[in-house]
Amino acid sequence: MNNLEIVKAGLNKRYAKERRFKFYGIFSISLSLLFLFFLLFDIGAKSIPAFTQTYINLDIEFDKKSMKLQDQDSYSEETLFSASYSKLGRNALYKLFPEVTERKQKKALRQMLSSGARYDLRDAVLENNDYVGTTQNLWVLAGDDIDAFVKGLIDRNIPEADRRVKDYQVKWVDILEAQNKIERRFNINFFTSGDSREPEQAGILGALKGSFYTMLVTLLLSFPIAVSAAIYLEEFAPKNNWWIDIIEININNLAAVPSIVFGILGLAVYINVFGVPRSAPLVGGLVLTLMTLPTIIISTRAALKSVPPSIREAALSIGASKMQVITHHVLPLAMPGILTGSIIGMAQALGETAPLLMIGMVAFVADIPQSILDPATVLPVQVFIWSDSPERGFIALTSAAIVTLLVFLFFMNLIAIVLRKKFETRW
Amino acid sequence: MENHDHISNQFDNDLESIRNHVLSMGGLVETNVKNAITSLLERDQALAEEVAKADFKVNQMEVEIDEECTQIIARRQPAAGDLRLVLTAIKVITDLERIGDEAEKIGRYAQTLASKKAKTGMHLELQTLGEKVSSMLNKTLDAFARMDASQAMEVVGLDIRIDEEFDRISRLLVSHMMEEPKNIKSMLRVSWCARSLERIGDHAQNICEYVIYSVHGEDVRHADIDKVKKEYLSKQE
Amino acid sequence: MEISDNMDLDQEISKTVGSPLLESKVRIACRDVNVFYNKNVQAIFNVNLDIGKNQILAMIGPSGCGKSTLLRCFNRMNDTIEDCVVDGLIELDGENIHSKKIDPVVLRANVGMVFQKPNPFPKSIYDNVAYGPRLHGLTQNNSELDDIVEESLTKAGLWKETKDRLNKPGTGLSGGQQQRLCIARAIAVKPEVILMDEPTSALDPIATATIEELMSELKSAYTIVIVTHSMQQAARISDRTAYFHLGRLVEVDETGHIFTNPNHSLTENYITGRFG
Repeated sequence: MNNLEIVKAGLNKRYAKERRFKFYGIFSISLSLLFLFFLLFDIGAKSIPAFTQTYINLDIEFDKKSMKLQDQDSYSEETLFSASYSKLGRNALYKLFPEVTERKQKKALRQMLSSGARYDLRDAVLENNDYVGTTQNLWVLAGDDIDAFVKGLIDRNIPEADRRVKDYQVKWVDILEAQNKIERRFNINFFTSGDSREPEQAGILGALKGSFYTMLVTLLLSFPIAVSAAIYLEEFAPKNNWWIDIIEININNLAAVPSIVFGILGLAVYINVFGVPRSAPLVGGLVLTLMTLPTIIISTRAALKSVPPSIREAALSIGASKMQVITHHVLPLAMPGILTGSIIGMAQALGETAPLLMIGMVAFVADIPQSILDPATVLPVQVFIWSDSPERGFIALTSAAIVTLLVFLFFMNLIAIVLRKKFETRW
Repeated sequence: MENHDHISNQFDNDLESIRNHVLSMGGLVETNVKNAITSLLERDQALAEEVAKADFKVNQMEVEIDEECTQIIARRQPAAGDLRLVLTAIKVITDLERIGDEAEKIGRYAQTLASKKAKTGMHLELQTLGEKVSSMLNKTLDAFARMDASQAMEVVGLDIRIDEEFDRISRLLVSHMMEEPKNIKSMLRVSWCARSLERIGDHAQNICEYVIYSVHGEDVRHADIDKVKKEYLSKQE
Repeated sequence: MEISDNMDLDQEISKTVGSPLLESKVRIACRDVNVFYNKNVQAIFNVNLDIGKNQILAMIGPSGCGKSTLLRCFNRMNDTIEDCVVDGLIELDGENIHSKKIDPVVLRANVGMVFQKPNPFPKSIYDNVAYGPRLHGLTQNNSELDDIVEESLTKAGLWKETKDRLNKPGTGLSGGQQQRLCIARAIAVKPEVILMDEPTSALDPIATATIEELMSELKSAYTIVIVTHSMQQAARISDRTAYFHLGRLVEVDETGHIFTNPNHSLTENYITGRFG
């Protein structure tokens, strides 16, 4: 056999190997795509109910007696605000179903409405003062069990003892539906309010803003610190100096430290020593900064290293100082890489839960944070809290929160890509 | 010959300078040959002396051009047409120098022939040969100046006429020597002059062959010139 | 060659042959220049060399002979390399370039450099050329800057090709054009000396010829020192040629002399391709 024949003989084997390798690649990619789609589909499908809410149409009689108001022609805002609205909704229901007299059934009838309905009615009155003393046809938020039942999450065919909605409640819902007095509407509440113990009143805005403030603090702190540190280490630090070597090793190790350790550090140092307010986005941002720093430093150094030395030489040879070389040439050229690293770090920080648990961002916060010093929670922690809650409605909310988190992440990446493209085309 | 200038101006200048120097050397040699013939025919002793002395200038130019060519080969590494031009120049100046030497010889014989008041009038027989040679030399230099291969081919053919004329003169001189043995010395001198003129023709032919080589890149030195001519013409058509 | 040969080599090259020193019109003067890397690795040994005004000096020699290292001494680019120590005297127009009075930034404005690989900034053609003048504040207003850009590009033989696309990126030009852009960038700060480190080794022959022609034109206004791996290039463009061997300056002479009749056998071996 001459060489050519030997080569030809082995050829099929080689190609088979190549084909096999290709197949493995395609197989594993398909598999991961399948899992990804399954995950997204599952979360997406589960989150859909969270985006609608059930409302019941009632003739609300704003009588002064039930509202515990004195007989007057007009009332000040404070008076209206502190008036009692809790009886209005149930009175309307009693009127609608006068045959219900038993105490237990009356209670069930009351629970048809959300406990938060009174606040909606209060807001309606505050907006229209002249409602007082009149009867108005209004849509009122339904309770979470009714909401779940209307959405089909509770099956009417299972025995009454096993379901949370009683038979007479089912009957009432059917009657209301027959009269077109029950309706599903888009859940604006989810995007405009903070957390709540009642799933039908719980919203994501608090966590969203908390995440936003936390990310803002993280970005504003970690980006400049990390980039400056990377520039110093890469461009100015003396080579073969053991101090610098130790710093480098530590930075690399820092990237591998479990995130909860940063949380403990934050608790011990920021909160206990420096007295930064607990649960605030400020302290969350500070802790996440610690976590993000090594990631950004390492990627920035890689980006700086990848700038061709010929560009530095060119600038130096014209008479640019070292700082000018860096600011005029090296940094702009490294910017896309730096941004990529930063966004990876930020995305990591955005999805981080563990360290934030340590610094109290897991607390129940119903108010929407207005600054970085207000108590807040963040999206992943919100997911964690909701997934831990027993009420039926929180299942959908958990998924909806995950979807929100993914959308937030998507926009963050989008901004990064746009920025990177902008820097790349400039050059 | 050059359709385009080189990217390097200096290279153009250097090549042009070599050509110009070869041409002015050729002009000098041509003048020397003409003066030699004139001094011979007209028994002009002063002119003959001048011719004999003028050769050192030709030799000096040969050295200069040689050096120039060495420099251009060392520094520019000429290729193709440029290389042929430089090689041609080196060879042309060798032949020109030899022509110069022949002219010097003729000048020296002319000096003796003029001073001895040789009784023979045989030197007048050299007039035709002299005219033919100097016309051939003139055409040769013209062909080189214009790098005109077809003219060079024609000039190559002229050498046969010169050889015929040289044979005629040789036979004539031999018969005269037998008739007048006492003039043999002068006759011999005339014969040597004729020989020198014939040599000049040969060198001129060489130069023409170099020109053809320079233009077409074909070595025609030992080929049949008529065949080459035919080939060349057919190629042109 | 091995280290053990160095003793013989030192004897063989005890003194630079040819004419390393000039009598007049000296722009750069090197006296007893030694260059060390990492304290114990010596790259340049006792170089004495004058570079004349309006001259092109070509530095040739086998790889690792120190010619690039010496070139980078002239604008103190070696300062940027850690552990590189330059010993001896290097003068530019009679002034020691290592003296405290001279800042490397000023020196580099005076001694431009063109590199092996064309390295235009990833900016527009205009900004590339204008970078130096802007950096040093050489112009008062935009029209002056425009003039400098046009002048530099014209000198570099690039104006005709680029005047309609000054805002296009410099990296979009061809290799030869990029290198001419780099030359334009270097001469925009009006240096006295241009150092070229194998400026055409990445270019095709035509672009090379264009750059070479450009160099011989620039010669009238600048002193040019060129390091080249191509002996032919050195022969074509330089006025004087310096041959380096293992960090020693073996021979310096008129280029025509070096390439026809070198005095040192090492030089002859190198330029005739018998080295090794």
